Amino acid sequence: MPPSQLKQLKASLKDSGVIAPQQSKKQKRQNAKSGAAAQNRNQRNAALQAIRDRFNPFEIKAPSNRSKFEATTRDSGSKPAPRARPGVTKSLGEERRRATLLQEMNSRNKVGGLVDRRFGENDPTMTPEERAAERFARESQRKMRKESMFNLEDEEEDFQLTHLGQSLDLEGAKLDDFEAGDLGGEESDEESSRKRKRFIDDEEDMDMDMDMDMDFIDHGENENQPERKKSKAEVMKEVIAKSKFYKHERQQAKEDDEDLRDLLDQELPDLFEALRGMKVPGKQPEPVKQDLDAMNPDRAALLQEPEKKDTEREYDQRLKQLTFDKRSQPTDRTKTEEEKVEEEAARLKKLEEDRVRRMRGEQVSDDEEEESDKDSFMQDDEDEEIDDAEAFGLPTQSYQPRPEIAVEDEDDFVIDDDLVETRSNVSLDMGGSDMEEEDLSEEEESESDNEDELINGMTLPSTTASGAASTAVEVNQTAEGKLAFTYPCPSDHASFLETIKGVPTQDIPTVVQRIRALHHPRLQPGNKEKLGRFAEILVEHVSYMANTSELPSFAVIENILRHIHSLAKTHPVNVAMAFRARLREMSNDRPLNLLPGDLAILSGISTIFPTSDHFHSVTTPAYLCMARFLGQCSVNTLSDFVTGAFATSLCLQYQSVAKRYMPEFINYTLNALCNIAPTEPTSEVGFFPSRKSDESVRLAPSKKVTPRKLQFRDIVTSASDSSVQEDLKVSLITLFVSLLDSASDLWSEKSAFVEIFTPVRAVLQHIRQSFKGKAFAAARDPVQTTLDKIDSHLARARLVRRPLLLHNHKPLAIKSAIPKFEEDFNPDKHYDPDRERAESNRLKKEFKRERKGAMRELRKDASFVAREKLREKKERDAEYEKKYKRLVAEIQSEEGRAANDYEREKRGRQGKR
Amino acid sequence: MPAPIELSSSKKRKSSKNGAPSSKRRAVAEEDGFAETLSTIEKLENQIAESRKYYNNIATLISMLNVDKSAKKPELAVAVSLCRVFSRLIAAGNFVDSSRAAENEKIVVAWLKERALEYQRALMAIMREADTASQVTALTLAMRLVKERITHIPGAEHNIWATLFKDIFEAVVEAQDGQDLQTEFVTKFVKEYEDVRYHFYVQASEYADIRRSSDTLETLISLLSTCDDVPSEDHEFETFFVEPATTNKRMLSVNAHKKRAQEAWLAILRNNLSQAQRKSLLRIMVHTIEPWFSRPELLMDFLTDSYNVGGATSLLALSGLFYLIQHKNLDYPQFYTKLYSLLDADLLHSKHRSRFFRLLNTFLSSTHLPASLVASFIKRLSRLALNAPPSAIVVIVPFMYNLFKSHPTCTFMMHREIRDKELAADIEARGMDDPFDMTELDPLHTNAIESSLWEIETLQSHYHPNVAAIARIISEQFTKQAYNLEDFLDHTYQGMLQGELGTGEKPLRKPPVVEYQIPKRIFTDRMLEEDGGVDSGPGSFMRGLWDFS
Repeated sequence: MPPSQLKQLKASLKDSGVIAPQQSKKQKRQNAKSGAAAQNRNQRNAALQAIRDRFNPFEIKAPSNRSKFEATTRDSGSKPAPRARPGVTKSLGEERRRATLLQEMNSRNKVGGLVDRRFGENDPTMTPEERAAERFARESQRKMRKESMFNLEDEEEDFQLTHLGQSLDLEGAKLDDFEAGDLGGEESDEESSRKRKRFIDDEEDMDMDMDMDMDFIDHGENENQPERKKSKAEVMKEVIAKSKFYKHERQQAKEDDEDLRDLLDQELPDLFEALRGMKVPGKQPEPVKQDLDAMNPDRAALLQEPEKKDTEREYDQRLKQLTFDKRSQPTDRTKTEEEKVEEEAARLKKLEEDRVRRMRGEQVSDDEEEESDKDSFMQDDEDEEIDDAEAFGLPTQSYQPRPEIAVEDEDDFVIDDDLVETRSNVSLDMGGSDMEEEDLSEEEESESDNEDELINGMTLPSTTASGAASTAVEVNQTAEGKLAFTYPCPSDHASFLETIKGVPTQDIPTVVQRIRALHHPRLQPGNKEKLGRFAEILVEHVSYMANTSELPSFAVIENILRHIHSLAKTHPVNVAMAFRARLREMSNDRPLNLLPGDLAILSGISTIFPTSDHFHSVTTPAYLCMARFLGQCSVNTLSDFVTGAFATSLCLQYQSVAKRYMPEFINYTLNALCNIAPTEPTSEVGFFPSRKSDESVRLAPSKKVTPRKLQFRDIVTSASDSSVQEDLKVSLITLFVSLLDSASDLWSEKSAFVEIFTPVRAVLQHIRQSFKGKAFAAARDPVQTTLDKIDSHLARARLVRRPLLLHNHKPLAIKSAIPKFEEDFNPDKHYDPDRERAESNRLKKEFKRERKGAMRELRKDASFVAREKLREKKERDAEYEKKYKRLVAEIQSEEGRAANDYEREKRGRQGKR
Repeated sequence: MPAPIELSSSKKRKSSKNGAPSSKRRAVAEEDGFAETLSTIEKLENQIAESRKYYNNIATLISMLNVDKSAKKPELAVAVSLCRVFSRLIAAGNFVDSSRAAENEKIVVAWLKERALEYQRALMAIMREADTASQVTALTLAMRLVKERITHIPGAEHNIWATLFKDIFEAVVEAQDGQDLQTEFVTKFVKEYEDVRYHFYVQASEYADIRRSSDTLETLISLLSTCDDVPSEDHEFETFFVEPATTNKRMLSVNAHKKRAQEAWLAILRNNLSQAQRKSLLRIMVHTIEPWFSRPELLMDFLTDSYNVGGATSLLALSGLFYLIQHKNLDYPQFYTKLYSLLDADLLHSKHRSRFFRLLNTFLSSTHLPASLVASFIKRLSRLALNAPPSAIVVIVPFMYNLFKSHPTCTFMMHREIRDKELAADIEARGMDDPFDMTELDPLHTNAIESSLWEIETLQSHYHPNVAAIARIISEQFTKQAYNLEDFLDHTYQGMLQGELGTGEKPLRKPPVVEYQIPKRIFTDRMLEEDGGVDSGPGSFMRGLWDFS
């Protein structure tokens, strides 16, 4: 059984040291001195409070649910349940409400009122003396720290503490009548006032010494009218006058000192001389200085100012220059020839590596790229029906932007751009880029080449318009005089045609050069866009030129294409869009009969854009255009075949680096050979679809023919002369054969080389068979050599052929179904993998808690208000009751008196009777 | 009746006299003439209605039809009024010759019948030769006559359908520029009225029994193929042109209708069809022709014949044949051999490619097929893919993937390790040939399963990046269950190009890469001597082959 409450109390009091054995007097005194007593008192109070709390079971709220057994997953088990003390919190809340809510309640429906903001007015802990002292201290503090010298407002509003209508300022006290010794009664102030008095006396003595008469008047006044109180204005005037006088005095004294010192300084050399016993050669007097010195220093300063201003300004300027000047940096060391060569080689190597990477279609580790890929993947997942073909970038319905399979290297572009910029310091483009491709051993040649190009008009445009004009003049020296110097930058093809109307074709490059020079991006801000547009126009013009004229000048087209190429380095998007527009036109309007212009555009693409890229926004559609043409075009006339031959040659040129396989090329070539060959193949030669031409284009078996190099103009012009036609046919055959020859070189590494080229061999053998006649002696040789080559390739391909081993993959792991374990699992924490959901849950919880709290507070407020109202009502009622009772008592007493009177009167009358 | 003849002849003379009057006068004259003719026609018609003594007017009217002028410009008003006249007469019973009637009555009836025949002949002539509007009107009138005669002359039903309607049918089929007439016939009568359709089929089968020219056959096919709403088993026949006699049970049975249609179709199929017609028939076979057949096996001969033709015709016959195999339990010997032989050079370039692949997918979907057969198909397709357009390769590879998934034995074609040391050494030393025999016709003996798919591996470096990506699926892990073939089927050059280029100006996602070197020359021999006269720069290939000057 535990001891009784009383015993427990005693024990705890003893434990906490509240009840301690009596201390001796000496100890007490010691404690008091060292301040331990106060500390003890505090400690004792705290201990007492703790004991009170412990022994009042109603103060502490028992936890609503008993603590549960310890379990590993229970976090709350480790820390004790929080002690709730409802009494304390309630009283705290009550207190707060009384301070806020009650105030509001009382001031409700009331307008205006006085707020006492005097310091410590509502502080009951302060004595009136303390309050006054503190106020005085604050006032003086505010005086001391003057925020601003020129603050006029403060001056006005400043209210002063006064005592009996007089300012309490110390300054005022200093100079006016402090001698009124009414404070003398207090002992504590006695000493200080005495000191102050002495100070004032001293000062007055000094005054008297310095300036007799003024002081005299002053004192006289003082003496004359000792009883009259000076007004404040008078006092201030006096003070000002005095201070001015003192200042003047001090200046005077200082000047005197200066004079004296100067005098001494002047005499010093003489003194030195005297000391050394030597004579110094006559020294130059400095009259101006003298003058200045004699003058008032202010004036002297004024006189001297102009010069000084100049120097200052100069100084400022210098300073600014220095601060804004770039700090000079160490320049790059001039590179040696070897280093330059090395650098160039490294750059080219990097570009080539980039190209190879693009060719393989490798992903560049580009975050954005990956993200977009992921996005597309997500979309796929969301779709109800996943289109399998879509994953490979095939358009599903009509058109839909393809997800990028291939990657384009942006870095590459940047480097390139960079390069052009630096190069263009010397010349705009052509010379520079020519130099790039120049063999390194031919450096000198390329220099001169540079010059040539430069004279041709691609000089650096200087920053002014006159510079541009001089460029034009320079151009004029080489070109014909009749060309204009300036041309407007055209905004569409029609206006460009307008511009070059009357300009001979071979001068068009010059015009293009001039337009480019005149609208160099550095000359005007809008020029970059203009040139971009101009590049698009040039692309259009290339196809226009090749289409319109019967015999297009390829030198000019080539030049324009090179211009486009160099423009493409700065405006890749414009040029690409222009080419794509051409391709789109091709594929929509005439997919199966390409015009010469289209062929020119396709060959332009082959030089301007890298055809080896796995995916490229221009070359890939160009491939498709050509393949479609080869696969489906008509094969009826000889000129059809010439166009086809050009397209097939282009195909091989496109593939010269990447060496990708084009089925359409083989199909077309073999079919064309079968069609043109002097005799029709008797047996099935291959698996290409054979398309017969409507009119026979077969080589006449008897005529003697000589193959020649095909010309571009063969596409357009069709010779009527039969012998010329036969020549053309045999040259076509030779061309196709040589194409197959190159193709066999290109694709010799393909694993299906045997399958691809067995039909080719069959066709070639057939041709060789039909060329047995004497007429074809000239054309027989290339066929034979090609056949030999293909045979050797076939043999090699057969030798290296191995069964496919495509699936050397690591076996796929079975999907794991093991749950994911969390280290340091905490049941109170939420492990929601979805961050957004977790966040929203957290917010919801917080909102709920806040809402509950607010509702509780409001409820408590309401009950408080009700209670207060009830209290007020009770008070009022009680007052009323009191008043009522008082009145009743009064009336009753009066009544009683009246009754007494009546009784008395009655008795009296009875008595009389 | 000399007077009316004279009238018409005078009119003729008049028109011939006014050979080329001024256009205005002629218009006025025509106007007058037209009004005049109308009133004449009306008068004549009314007279006929009034009394029998004016029956001669019928002959007058018939002669007014202008049929003798090669029916190019018929007088429609006359035709219409004649139709009215005959309808009235038929309704009045003037065409019924009872045995009790007097001799002269009989003569009148016979005369009337003769006139009616004459009128009908005129109408047929109009239908065959006149302009479109007249053709249509004549058709309506003729059909009206059919209706009148059948309703008002008892017992004539069979006769009328067999004679008059037959004439109409033939006229319609053989009409010149008869598209409108034929559509009118089909939409207004054949599709509208079930009895007309019945007799239409009867006539069609009779008509097609004889060998006809391909043009008429074409018309006939188009006529027949437009009626594609086959009555269902429990169909109630309600819409009739002429209420049939209650005794005529055949008109009310679905089977009878179907039988007629079937006969008609068979007659056509038996006729000498051109290749194009055969193809078009095969194309509509499953959806239009087959439903009419209560015994589809009758189509078997036609289908197998077509299947044996080879080429596109075989492709088209395939679906019909498949239908028979599927539903009618047709046993087609050597089906897969034949199917295998369909995989030829033109298949992948044909426009029926996707149709074929859908069927091929069905045929090869069975898991019970021998692996060697499936392997032959795979290998042959991959051979063909070497010469195929990208849109075909795009189908072939996922199709192969699906086959590999269902026939794992075939995966040796993608991955084959040679365990036999000797053989390995031999291959190492001498290389190997493709064990696959392309010329072997039987897919079970091609040795394809011993081969490898080098062709597809080569196509992994196809020029088109998407095609290359698809070809690459055979060398990746086979994690996907199957590719949905339908997604790959209907791609074309145009579609792919459009996918690349888009339809309008759309900003590129990235600025395209530009070749970093500007070549010194593209077409010409510019500055060739600087390179020592040897042209080796980019584009030298083209310059070597072509002369740009």
